[in-house]
Amino acid sequence: MLFFSFYKTLIDEEVIVELKNDMSIRGTLKSVDQFLNIKLDDISVLDEIKYPHLSSVKNVFIRGSVVRYVHLPAAVVDTTLLEDASRKEAASQAAKAGGR
Amino acid sequence: MADVTTADQLDDSVVSEPLDLVRLSLSERVFVKLKGDREIRGTLHGYDSHCNLVLSEVEETVYVMDDDSDVLKTIKKQSEMLFVRGDAVVLISPPQRT
Amino acid sequence: MSSAASPGSPSPEAPSNNPSAFLSQITGAKVSVKLNSGVEYRGDLQCVDGYMNIALEQTEEYVEGELKNKYGDVFVRGNNVLYIGVE
Repeated sequence: MLFFSFYKTLIDEEVIVELKNDMSIRGTLKSVDQFLNIKLDDISVLDEIKYPHLSSVKNVFIRGSVVRYVHLPAAVVDTTLLEDASRKEAASQAAKAGGR
Repeated sequence: MADVTTADQLDDSVVSEPLDLVRLSLSERVFVKLKGDREIRGTLHGYDSHCNLVLSEVEETVYVMDDDSDVLKTIKKQSEMLFVRGDAVVLISPPQRT
Repeated sequence: MSSAASPGSPSPEAPSNNPSAFLSQITGAKVSVKLNSGVEYRGDLQCVDGYMNIALEQTEEYVEGELKNKYGDVFVRGNNVLYIGVE
């Protein structure tokens, strides 16, 4: 759930989503769900010549599983907060495992 | 009972499960090998049990066979902040610990 | 069911009869981990979890039998693992 919460803090930021088929889409992050499916607004495809399919499309829903990377603006990421949240998530998972 | 083990695992820096190695690498430079002949070096800021990662000051290296020749080409790309989806991760190597 | 495994008399060596017990027994041993890609890692096994995620120490990476890299510590994501063998 950590990255679901993380993504919610990035809503309305401009990101570049790189897909597993090598296509990259720039757009404004509009929503995200628990599978890390992503909705982008005002999109543009980075290599328009190679991928002309979406030239008339304004917004997309991207299935989480086809994402390879998401390039984020460094300024909006609180790295200390994210590190602490990662440790907390690890601890809560360990607690679950211990209770089993 | 469960709380005691949790506290123990958090307090010391002993690797009692494989993901501890990743936890101990938070805010350190790491090397990540990915599927599709890709490698990444960056500072680790976030991870979860799927190996989803967030890294900063990232250098990605992609190895590709040149189309007509059999020469292995390397392509380098930079990114200031990168989310990596866990299913592509093969290996994570923290910096050398002393 | 053999008589040794009867409920009344749990034999001390019984745990070695299942794969995950084997894995916990070989922690600390020198192992070779083969991935689906064919790449092989040799090192000291620190630990394994239920996903077969693996932590290795003093690791050497072999591609097509040739030493390609050395790492102090390595985390290997379990889904890539073909087998773990004791050296």
